[in-house]
Amino acid sequence: MTDERTGAQVMCEALVREDVEVMFGIPGGAIMPFYHAMWEYRDRLRHVLCRHEQGAGHAAEGYARSTGKPGVCVATSGPGATNLVTPIANAWMDSTPLVAITGQVSSAVLGKDAFQETDITGITLPITKHNYRVSRAEDLPSVFREAFHIARTGRPGPVLIDVTKDAQQARLVPDWNVTLNVPGFSAPVGLDPRAIREAARILAGASKPLILAGQGVIISDAVAELRTLAERTGIPVVTTLHGIGAFPEDHPLSIGMPGMHGWVHVNRAIQECDVLLCIGARFDDRVTGKASTFAPRASVIHIDIDPSEIGKNVKVAVAIIGDARAALRALIELIPPRDAAIWLRNIRETQATHQHRQPYLRRPDTTELMPHDVYAALNAALNKRGGYRVITDVGQHQMWAAQLIEWRRPRTHITSGGAGTMGFAVPAAMGAAIAHPDETIWAIVGDGGFQMTNQELATIGQEGIKNVKVAIVNNGYLGMVRQWQQLFEGRRYSGTPLTGPSFAGLAEAYGLRGFTVDRIEDAEEAIRAAWDHDGSVVLDFRVEREANVFPLVPPGLSIGEMITREAPA
Amino acid sequence: MRHTLIALVEDRPGALNRILGLLRGRGLGLHSIAVGDSETPGVKRATVLVDTESVEQTIKQLNRLIEVLEVTDVTNAEYVVRETALVKIHAPEPRRDEIKTVADGFGARIVGSSPQTVVVEMTDTPDRLGEMIARVMAIGACETMRSGSLAMALAGPAPRVPAPAPEDATRVWWSQADGIS
Ligand SMILES: Cc1ncc(C[n+]2csc(CCOP(=O)(O)OP(=O)(O)O)c2C)c(N)n1
Ligand SMILES: [Mg+2]
Repeated sequence: MTDERTGAQVMCEALVREDVEVMFGIPGGAIMPFYHAMWEYRDRLRHVLCRHEQGAGHAAEGYARSTGKPGVCVATSGPGATNLVTPIANAWMDSTPLVAITGQVSSAVLGKDAFQETDITGITLPITKHNYRVSRAEDLPSVFREAFHIARTGRPGPVLIDVTKDAQQARLVPDWNVTLNVPGFSAPVGLDPRAIREAARILAGASKPLILAGQGVIISDAVAELRTLAERTGIPVVTTLHGIGAFPEDHPLSIGMPGMHGWVHVNRAIQECDVLLCIGARFDDRVTGKASTFAPRASVIHIDIDPSEIGKNVKVAVAIIGDARAALRALIELIPPRDAAIWLRNIRETQATHQHRQPYLRRPDTTELMPHDVYAALNAALNKRGGYRVITDVGQHQMWAAQLIEWRRPRTHITSGGAGTMGFAVPAAMGAAIAHPDETIWAIVGDGGFQMTNQELATIGQEGIKNVKVAIVNNGYLGMVRQWQQLFEGRRYSGTPLTGPSFAGLAEAYGLRGFTVDRIEDAEEAIRAAWDHDGSVVLDFRVEREANVFPLVPPGLSIGEMITREAPA
Repeated sequence: MRHTLIALVEDRPGALNRILGLLRGRGLGLHSIAVGDSETPGVKRATVLVDTESVEQTIKQLNRLIEVLEVTDVTNAEYVVRETALVKIHAPEPRRDEIKTVADGFGARIVGSSPQTVVVEMTDTPDRLGEMIARVMAIGACETMRSGSLAMALAGPAPRVPAPAPEDATRVWWSQADGIS
């Protein structure tokens, strides 16, 4: 008995060493040796067979976003690998630690248009933090080590490892004594004390300061520090779509979400503030509107671990490059207690005149189920019960979820933000459900997005996953696009009306429970029943078809210019 | 505005590809790129001439690439630029003296010839190369091959390769070289 292993065994061993407990994938010719080796590791490495590689990728993202640990997905060469492109791009845009493992044709035929050969490292070049093609089994220990290090260190992101079939089959005595050697990947080391002092000085002199908190706060585990800083200084806190959960929305200093579908009082506060402390957010155009008119009076202090984000979209007065938690701790030390009560009162007054939930509270002359009825029932259940996470898809239902649920804890709101990938929610919910078997994982999804990846309900069935509860906000439209057509394109509903099968029937066909809900008075009971049911459930909420998301900043305008309600007909 | 960047790049597969892809993806105009071995084994040094509105952003984006060790903008520093050109001139025998005269005037050399052609080599600033090429083009049809600019700042710190990023201290278990049981 020697210490000789196959490359594929080394891959499994590397995953064990990286604390990987589960991976999501689909086998095929070029990755079969890895699946062969996986058999010996099946007690330590769980493999979840998905129904489409896109589902596998998003499931790994759901796992990663809900735990903070890298998610792992696996595919074969060619079409298997290209099916991973969307989740990899999604992880790239949302800074999600993801390691994608793909099989590649044998070195001997590489470059000869072999069966199922695709240059996946070439294809994923611009959407990975880094990628590798491994054709020598000896390189596997160091490549896996580097890949996981890069995926989770600094600003997290996706890394792809493409392993040729012969490298998986090769026999070797692995050398695990690898030292990390990536000189070009330098996570920022210490904070610049001058920048911290300057930031503290500017903050201390501000009369209308505002905090803009993004996902960086959650990634760096700085939620407590953010709260301390806010409470010590009385500075109101705005949370971006990905920053939801970084600061509890029931806190008196929380004012809500900014941007295209943010609240009027939040956008006005941004336009009025004299200092904007941005922590781990990247000034996406969905936040800034027309960037040249964003926060015109503010000195911007930007804390980010990625130097290339500084000054990319918005001019910055002070840049603090580094980990958000370390930076906040350093700032807290230097900032004297103060308050901003008058400023906060102003903001609250604006909020009162533009009572933010108002657009949804004006009921049309109908007893039809409105989207906000669903959210009201869900919000009540979530905050009564706890122990939940919510994964949202992309569209109107996503914005309503961000607006209408009172978010309180980090990593309980997970969505596809940067890429806006429809089809994210169901598989991502599955990944989060596997990571957190004791919690209830809600997927809020549109009828359009649901039909992009609902095949993963079969995976949920096969794996016996009991804690996924899908709420389809079914408006019979690609609603977000229809809304734009209604508001900006003279109601030309081209390509947006949408039908589907009975979603409840589909769920039953997959061996799950499914319910259709079309009356207001049934919404609460359906959510209760779904929550209590010992198994995964699909709720098909048939809502008013042409409800809209408000407020809204029309594309290309300043965030000060919001449409707050439907134009009178 | 055109900037002259000097990049130190780890010699890993796809490194150049990534640099080019990044510039293209961000919509930046690449004027020329010249790459070769540096004094450190496994590390290449490249001169990149790129049109960008925000050179700081471009440098930071390049620095995000794992293989890129260091990027400096020498545009506003004191630096030398050199480029090499090979020019093949189609010229009958009687005009060869003219070519020789032009070449001598520019400090260029005739490095080879065939019955129909003469090949001239010249290393100088891109502008001077352009002048020489214009002159010989008046003599006969030309094919040119240029290396792209090489730039070097006159001053600067002694070269060093940046140190590796600090080890992730939380992951000590990796060093247990214990194979699978
Ligand atoms: C994969 C993908 N294709 C297209 C789009 C463009 N798009 C954005 S929102 C949207 C409509 C989504 O419809 P639905 O899932 O029913 O959600 P709703 O807006 O109705 O809540 C579309 C088509 C997208 N974001 N992602
Ligand atoms: Mg819809």
